[in-house]
Amino acid sequence: MIIEDRNHLPRELEEIPAEKLQKADREDYRDEAFATEPIGFYRDAFRRLRKNKVSMASLIAIAVIILLAIVVPEVSGYTYVQQNVDQKYLPPKIPGLEKLGIADGSRVMTNRKKSSISDTSRYPEGSVLEIVREYKAGKQDVVDVKVDYYKYCGVPEGEYHWFGTDYLGRDVLTRLFRGTRISLLIALLSVVTNLIIGIIYGSVAGYYGGRIDMFLTHFAEVLDGLPYIVVTILFMMLFGAGIVSIVLALTVTGWIGTARLTRAQFYRFKGREYVLAARTMGIPDRRLIFRHILPNTVGPLITRAMIAVPGAIFSESFLAYIGLGIMPPEPSIGTLLSSGQSVLLQYPYLTLFPAILISVLMIAFNMLSNGLRDAMDPNHRGEE
Amino acid sequence: MLKYIAGRIVAMLLTIFLVMTLSFWIIRLMPMTIFENPEVSPEVQYKLEERMHLHEPMIVQYYYFLEGIIVRGDFGTSVKLRPGMDVFDIIITRIQPTMVLNFFSLLISIPLGILAGTVAALRRNTWVDHVISFAIVIFISVPSFVFASVLQYCFTFLWPVFPTLYNAQAPNVWAAFHSMILPIVALSLGPIATIARYLRGELIETLSSEYMLLARTKGLTQKEATWFHAFRNSLVPIANTIIPMITGIMGGSLVIEKLFSVPGEGGLLVDSIMAGDHFLTVALLIFYSLISLITILVVDISYGIIDPRIRIGGGK
Repeated sequence: MIIEDRNHLPRELEEIPAEKLQKADREDYRDEAFATEPIGFYRDAFRRLRKNKVSMASLIAIAVIILLAIVVPEVSGYTYVQQNVDQKYLPPKIPGLEKLGIADGSRVMTNRKKSSISDTSRYPEGSVLEIVREYKAGKQDVVDVKVDYYKYCGVPEGEYHWFGTDYLGRDVLTRLFRGTRISLLIALLSVVTNLIIGIIYGSVAGYYGGRIDMFLTHFAEVLDGLPYIVVTILFMMLFGAGIVSIVLALTVTGWIGTARLTRAQFYRFKGREYVLAARTMGIPDRRLIFRHILPNTVGPLITRAMIAVPGAIFSESFLAYIGLGIMPPEPSIGTLLSSGQSVLLQYPYLTLFPAILISVLMIAFNMLSNGLRDAMDPNHRGEE
Repeated sequence: MLKYIAGRIVAMLLTIFLVMTLSFWIIRLMPMTIFENPEVSPEVQYKLEERMHLHEPMIVQYYYFLEGIIVRGDFGTSVKLRPGMDVFDIIITRIQPTMVLNFFSLLISIPLGILAGTVAALRRNTWVDHVISFAIVIFISVPSFVFASVLQYCFTFLWPVFPTLYNAQAPNVWAAFHSMILPIVALSLGPIATIARYLRGELIETLSSEYMLLARTKGLTQKEATWFHAFRNSLVPIANTIIPMITGIMGGSLVIEKLFSVPGEGGLLVDSIMAGDHFLTVALLIFYSLISLITILVVDISYGIIDPRIRIGGGK
């Protein structure tokens, strides 16, 4: 039967005897199941991220570096504090590559007396590879000679330092990845702390608004006025060098950005109908904040956290350069870089490897966060 | 607007006070001798310490410290790096190399950054754009001190065309400038990439906006529309990345100045921390805070003018 006027039902419909009514079969009004699988926001974003080759390459690079940081210090055969002053400044020697003439543990030594070359107490058997240049200095016959530095220092055959050794004869490879561990740990800890503080602070300010917001925002503003350099330096001086103090120093003003972002998101979403509906139903503030509004903020927050990671790695190295880094003998990428810098022209490999590592890490994290930002952009929702 | 600025200035003064208080207490409560000089007899040292009020309770010292700065503009005297010299004077003498260096760096970075960003945006998704975008990511990601090391190794050792360190006693202008080239380049790479990245993003957005279409419909050529409409509009947001660079030219880079031994503010701060020259460190921290606060104020005011929607308050 077609009902024409909804306000005035036909007579026979208004007076239906009770016995004629019967319960409808539930199947009749059940929604049809989705023919395709429903895709949530994050799965959609992840699908787009996987399509992005640069992001995936960065993700793999980061994963590899993390894996190396975990594994290498355990299996390298050296510890990060193991010193050997007879074997200091050994050049890199890598099995396999050594046959190609790179990283074969050789070094050109200049201005050597020609007569001393044949002295096997100074130049052990087979350590002299070739004489690069012969010349006279005054009356002396002088040569520049390429030596197998490992044999020259009396390192047993078959012992390798892939990235060489430093001024105390410590294995650079082990120290580098131990340092990576520490740098990554600092980054992770500071980012997580900043996120937690920032989310709570921003949520409270954004949700309650009014006077609370006014007070909290002004407080954050005063704190934010403290320049980053000043704050980090002061806190490093206060707490002394160490992982915890670096993390704390990065936290003092680091959370403000997150708080600001969260607050802005709250302002956007707290007036939406679904929030009003939830509030009308008597849902307490805490639940409204964490279950109904905060999830909207997760996307931008993830992107932000990703961007903060290279920032923290950079800050750690920066502090090391100005003499406020991790305490020796514990290495970090920053301390390795800054100590390598002081002998850059003599032993460039001491700077080279940490420099490559930090560059790859920074580039990978930046690329990944770019990719994440694009993938999480709601404007691209559903795009392939 | 005036009320807004006044509010910001009050916040600024609070922050400066916070910096002064924090730096005083943190640095002075550290377990280090503030003043030591082996050449001075204990009696003289005691006298000197007395003149600096070092024997009074901390709270009284704090009062003298605040009074000195606020009433007399006196930041104290250096005790370790340049003993006896007025801290304020040291900062003033160091400001010139830093400013020169950063001025030249800006002189390169702003035009180059704008050029690179514009070219990348106009040639979007071509190989030119890809190359520039790749370079931008590298220059933004790789820390300046890594670049500094690479530059030092390449241009002073492998191909020695530049001196390794900044030459403060250069006999003539050219020699001085010659020794400044490497630090200037190391300082500029980051800002170039930052400006280029922002401008590229902004331009791409404005180029695809509707008023560009309107401008074309009115009969402007693509070139005219790009220049008069898109380019000019994109430069407004860029101002907010360039302003901090301009106000920052007095501060300089701590690490770059340290690496190239530039006798500037950044290197001075590093040295004063390492030497434990407390009065100098405190004064420098205040100096850096002032620079950054002025920057924030200028950026804020320009933001307020461009976008008045950003305000505090509002109900639940």
